[in-house]
Amino acid sequence: MFERGKKEDDLDAAAGFKPTATSRSAESASTRAASRSGECAVIGRSIEINGDVRGNEDLRIEGDVSGTVELRNSNLTIGKEGKVRADVYAKSITVDGTTEGDLYASERVIVHVNANARGNITAPKVGIEEGAKFKGTIDMDQAAVERALSKANMQATLPIGERAPAKSVDVKVAPKNVARETTSSVNPSAGVR
Amino acid sequence: MGRATARAPIELPAALNAPLFRMQVDELETSACRVVLDLGAASTPMLDLLGRSRCRVEIADLAGFGGIERLSIEAPAGALAAIAASLLPSHNPDRDIDLVFCWDLLNYLKPPAISALMSTIAARARPGTRVHALIVYSERSMPDRPGRYVPDKDLKLVNRAVPASEIAAPRYSPELLGRTMGLYAIEHARLLANGMQEFLFRLKR
Repeated sequence: MFERGKKEDDLDAAAGFKPTATSRSAESASTRAASRSGECAVIGRSIEINGDVRGNEDLRIEGDVSGTVELRNSNLTIGKEGKVRADVYAKSITVDGTTEGDLYASERVIVHVNANARGNITAPKVGIEEGAKFKGTIDMDQAAVERALSKANMQATLPIGERAPAKSVDVKVAPKNVARETTSSVNPSAGVR
Repeated sequence: MGRATARAPIELPAALNAPLFRMQVDELETSACRVVLDLGAASTPMLDLLGRSRCRVEIADLAGFGGIERLSIEAPAGALAAIAASLLPSHNPDRDIDLVFCWDLLNYLKPPAISALMSTIAARARPGTRVHALIVYSERSMPDRPGRYVPDKDLKLVNRAVPASEIAAPRYSPELLGRTMGLYAIEHARLLANGMQEFLFRLKR
């Protein structure tokens, strides 16, 4: 169950976050983890997520994410502060921060100048800026891209209980001006939407 | 690999005509999907070029990830081979390497390190795999870091690195390279306009 201390609730209220009385679920974790910024959800730099992140809207990650990120019809940006240790599936992926894991995109992957990316990239178009650090394999063959993404799609269409298991989904939040760090766990099968 | 001295950077041609490189690209474009290992850093122009040929590209970026320093230690051949293996991208046993680009990198490694690295690559490569390399030949000195070569639209190679100082060049001879890279045979060698020699090695087995 997702538990938070009173002090955190006070901080949330000050930040404009209004949890429902019964929101002790993945929904509340995700709302807390991903604040909206214009048309793009944002996982802020004080947020740590250990588990699966899934959704159908554009996302920017400035925090730490370990596990899997699936935004199959949307765009993902890993910001300068972002650290992602996960396999990532998205329409397009832009890396400004640090990634360790495989990146799969149906359209393109761009690795910007100060990024540090280790792992494999599978996408029809790949751009790596001069000065970016990348080590791994790049597969731009359309057939390979389709194979990889259809495998991911099959996994996503399975009933939740039959998907590759996520041991747990932990959302750690370390708000500014709060020395104490709290850890919240949510149902792993729910993921974070 | 001598001590670095502060001198004016070497003037390099803006774009280097490398016929053996062009030959390899032409071959890629007429063949089925290939696996290419690039020991240098990834670049968008190179990926665009290889993407046209539906290649799978393995990027090691040895210079960028401390590979030159790690391979420069005095160690037995087995230990150097283990270091070399750890520096390469993870290998897919179903997709052996067909072509290797190691432009300029070999100039910064000592013969035992070259031997360990190229033997490690040979174990992951198909028979007949080719290795394309640029070796400093006529100049006595070279920049203190490997060049960052990228192909232009005419398939000429442009060095985008900005060296700050120079070191002594090892000027490896074809004979020494042949002995050091015993699993490979020299297929072609050409002297280029910048004083480098362009080599095409072929895996013997």
